[in-house]
Amino acid sequence: MSLCFLRGISRAAYMTFKMTLRQNVMDGFIIFTVLIQPLLIAVMALWMLQDSIENPAIFIIVGSGLTGLWSSLLFVSGNSITRERWTGTLEMLVGQPTPFPIIVFGKNLAHVSQSLGSMIVAYILAVVIFGLQLTIGEPTLFVIAIGFTVVAFVCFGLVVAPIFVMNPGVQGWQNSMEFPIFILSGFLFSIALLPGWTTPFSYILAPYWAARALHGASSGGASTEDILLSLGMLILFSLIYLFIAAFLFRKLLIKARSDATLAGQ
Amino acid sequence: MMRISRNLNIFFQGALLSYIALFRWLRPTTYMASKIVMPLFQLLFFTYLGVSATGVETASFYVVGNAMQITAISGIYGVTMSIGGDRWSGTLPYLFGSPANRITMFLGRAFFHIFDGMLGVFIGFAWGVFLLNLDLSNTDIPTLILTILITTISTAGLGLLMGCLALITRNIMFVNNTVYFLLLIFSGANIPVQVLPSALQIISFISPLTRGIAAARILILGGDLSQVSGLLLGELAIGLIYGALGYALFHWFEVQAKKQGTLDAV
Repeated sequence: MSLCFLRGISRAAYMTFKMTLRQNVMDGFIIFTVLIQPLLIAVMALWMLQDSIENPAIFIIVGSGLTGLWSSLLFVSGNSITRERWTGTLEMLVGQPTPFPIIVFGKNLAHVSQSLGSMIVAYILAVVIFGLQLTIGEPTLFVIAIGFTVVAFVCFGLVVAPIFVMNPGVQGWQNSMEFPIFILSGFLFSIALLPGWTTPFSYILAPYWAARALHGASSGGASTEDILLSLGMLILFSLIYLFIAAFLFRKLLIKARSDATLAGQ
Repeated sequence: MMRISRNLNIFFQGALLSYIALFRWLRPTTYMASKIVMPLFQLLFFTYLGVSATGVETASFYVVGNAMQITAISGIYGVTMSIGGDRWSGTLPYLFGSPANRITMFLGRAFFHIFDGMLGVFIGFAWGVFLLNLDLSNTDIPTLILTILITTISTAGLGLLMGCLALITRNIMFVNNTVYFLLLIFSGANIPVQVLPSALQIISFISPLTRGIAAARILILGGDLSQVSGLLLGELAIGLIYGALGYALFHWFEVQAKKQGTLDAV
């Protein structure tokens, strides 16, 4: 892999990232998913949890931000290939020399990064409207955890998008996949509240490890070892997702070309 | 007499045909995902969130609130799509070109969604009983069913108003989603209304669902019709006001669209 090739794909990913951000600003559905919904969940949780837990504001801001990340991954990144097909641009994207997964990577990075905006807005809301104190227990680890979370979610999106486009039946269940992950990943309450048999399902979800790392680093209730373990799990899951995504993209493109369904509806 | 019979025919035919035409995509799996599984997990999420805040003994507060709130899926999204769908599919000019009575045509759009919404709430309560130990042993079931019916009608009233907004704006899903979540906050489904700042309690006061949810909670605790009749009348009145506002907007839109030639504008 030459340096020139790497520079080329980085530029393509960056341009896709930039274009997607600009397009998203005009899309009411995306604005709701990545910004408004997490914010409304944060407001609701602030009223519900403010007297029941210590340092609630930062816990809620991080948790509601994570709901935005997941909703964005599910509804926006999950549809990133399907949307291109609907608008008739999938053939051109697949036909040009830049590897197609790089384009989807740039798009997903834009969606996931945009979702982090909800945390910033919720942060301001908690301070200004609710007058709450906000402190981050481990600022350095928190920033690192955010970076790892973004990467893991982008990689997860690379798995979800081809699955949805190849299996419209699975996509039909999209609406029902949002809240289960909120629950199993412990975004806004501990998974210890759930029946014991659900715990293994939490452990195989990258969003759970993201929540554990971010809550641990922000609320300051976790040991450094525990946060590092969660970060390690995020790296592991990102690698697994990339491996699965490579396989799925190869399969998707071969199938779409042989069936001539790139432009299909 | 002939006129009444014709209007009734338009009401039922319009209700049935609009439901079939606009919800043909609703395959059993899609229906299950959107109307059975999604509400279950929404109910579980907010119940666990509430329980984590106020303890397991308060679970029924959240179960009842969120089970009742499920009606908003049909009331808001379903009814809005039933009205706005004519614009998106290009059939609005035919609709406004017909001599059919507008009120029967307009109200017919909500008809099936009222039953669908009630079914959703029943399923929500069933999930509550089977999974979250909701106790209905002291409940006046016929009055609870009446409460669910009235709450569904009032939510569909708001849906009729929102549906008319779909004739004006292209971003109706943004508005729908926002209203759906605002109802989760302000209807008392998850946060007791008295906990909200007094300025914001006005939103609860003018929202559908608020009184219906309060009535359902009283009934679950053993109350009877006499204790909730005021709440139910209020809930019905709120729904009728929203429905009337919706019809006024619908009428205004028809006049404006015909005047300005924007019936086909998408």
